[in-house]
Amino acid sequence: MSGTGEGLSRVSTGSAGADLILGGGFPANSINIIMGEPGTGKTLFAQQLALYNADGDRPILYLTTLSEPLAKVITYLQQTAFHDEDKIGTSVRYEDLGAALVEQGVGAMVSRMREAIRRDSPKIIIVDSFKAVHDLSSSPAEMRRLIADLAGLLSAYDTTTFLVGEYSEDEIARYPEFAVADGIVEFGRRKRASSDERYLRISKLRGASYREGTHGFRITSGGLQFYPRLVSPQFPSEYAQAGERISSGVAGLDPLLGGGLWRGTCTLVAGPTGSGKTTCALQFCIEGLRHGEPCLYLNFQENPTQLGQLIRSLGGGLHERAGPAPLWHTMYSSPVELQIDSLIGEAFGLIRDAGIQRVAVDGIGDLLLASGDPQRVHDYLYALTQHFARNGISSLLTYETRMALEAGRERLTEELRFSGLTDCIILLDLEISGSFRRTARVLKARNSAHSLDRREMEITASGIRIT
Amino acid sequence: MVSPRDRVSPVRPSIVPAARALILCVEQDPHIRELESYFLDQAGFVVQFVDDGAQALELARALEPSIILTEILVPGLDGLALCRQLKATPETRGIPVVVFSMLAAETRAREAGADAFLKKPLAENRLVQVVRDLLNPSRPSAATGLP
Repeated sequence: MSGTGEGLSRVSTGSAGADLILGGGFPANSINIIMGEPGTGKTLFAQQLALYNADGDRPILYLTTLSEPLAKVITYLQQTAFHDEDKIGTSVRYEDLGAALVEQGVGAMVSRMREAIRRDSPKIIIVDSFKAVHDLSSSPAEMRRLIADLAGLLSAYDTTTFLVGEYSEDEIARYPEFAVADGIVEFGRRKRASSDERYLRISKLRGASYREGTHGFRITSGGLQFYPRLVSPQFPSEYAQAGERISSGVAGLDPLLGGGLWRGTCTLVAGPTGSGKTTCALQFCIEGLRHGEPCLYLNFQENPTQLGQLIRSLGGGLHERAGPAPLWHTMYSSPVELQIDSLIGEAFGLIRDAGIQRVAVDGIGDLLLASGDPQRVHDYLYALTQHFARNGISSLLTYETRMALEAGRERLTEELRFSGLTDCIILLDLEISGSFRRTARVLKARNSAHSLDRREMEITASGIRIT
Repeated sequence: MVSPRDRVSPVRPSIVPAARALILCVEQDPHIRELESYFLDQAGFVVQFVDDGAQALELARALEPSIILTEILVPGLDGLALCRQLKATPETRGIPVVVFSMLAAETRAREAGADAFLKKPLAENRLVQVVRDLLNPSRPSAATGLP
């Protein structure tokens, strides 16, 4: 439990990501509902929280009811990497209330909890599943009395409570426990193509400034790994630009840009399929490797094996060069499996840990497809490019445009939606009328006297050459 | 929350009886009453409950409790007014008063003359420690930081 000066003390979830989403953790002495369909990760979340907070000071009380036998709860807990044999039964005390509720009625919940408070002085009480108690109640009125009594007891005592239940969204308005809850956290799973995407959403959290919306998470052997939704800064923060030119790594492109790219800026390379975007992105990163800059290549399309051959061909094995710390980093996520929050969360971690100086994101159209929400992706990209700029990271984004029969107004409109996010826009084109013809031109390059010419371009085994 | 500032005025140690000390509690919440009663009894004190400040004032004169524990939000004479009246009356001035409230009103409690302030919810360790420290001012608790 952590204090926050004059504010409310907080109870950590045991996950830095979830704590961030909750605005620092659950307020201490609160009553919270952890809801979601079966299999969404509620019990694992509650177990992780219990084990994390079990420090031997005052115990955690984990009360099971009728939904899952205690033996099963313990068995599965022991399969997790975060379980701690020494804490189970001592710092975290388990008790099955099922029999008492069946024999004595739902009122036994309050009397057993009162006994537990007197006997154990628990700092956290978890009831899993609380929803199952409804099935034993003889009437809604009885359940309402129970909730009022329980809320009174749990509010009177210095403890933080979590009521876990397989509630659905429509039950929020019907069940009285939601009215007394200080916090409501929803776990869910939505189908996306051939995979499922897990998410967490805070519906209510009194006394806390939490992050709204859905946040992705994964169940790993080490517990639940949360990825807070990327939040765009309301106002762009001020930062100093490096004032240093860096090479794009593409032969013939730097002169068109007025002498290269500015370090710490963001470049968009747009063009139809086969126009050379991936090659351009790789050359941008390989140029960084030549200068000893750690680089990250984020890729949603190319098979990692095929990509390795291409990088070797373009960079002469530069990415495989041994050193005190690796300079070349790639992250591959299939568009089918792509979960934007988790991908961005992991990328941020890698950028921070490896001191990345150049990033290529190839390509942002896949983010659009994965999200299904163009505005959300726009917000992501804004937050991403702001993060890069603040940290002096030079970035290059690729975007696949539709094949144009003729270079025209429609194409430009498509690229211009990203204009505000980027400092530089390079359009690659592929004309197939009669014979193949590749061209490149710089549409925009901030603070640069760039060329407006459309130039011929060829792709060879050693990369792109603009003439 | 207990802090070094909790005790805000000197305490009369002479009223501490050799037998079980009587604590007069002004509290309406049945759950708080039940928990206060249990934990203070376990700690060796006798607890007498009243619903409001006026009753507490009357019983304070009659029973001379060792400590008065009061919520601020009670009917009639509220906890702070009770505290002021107790401290303004010669016969009750020396009875230590603990304001134990759902309101974060430590400053107001101190201004009213309270000897200690505790914020709800009830944490038995803090409650019992504050009571013990007020009854034994010569043996301050490291936990509460009372002088």
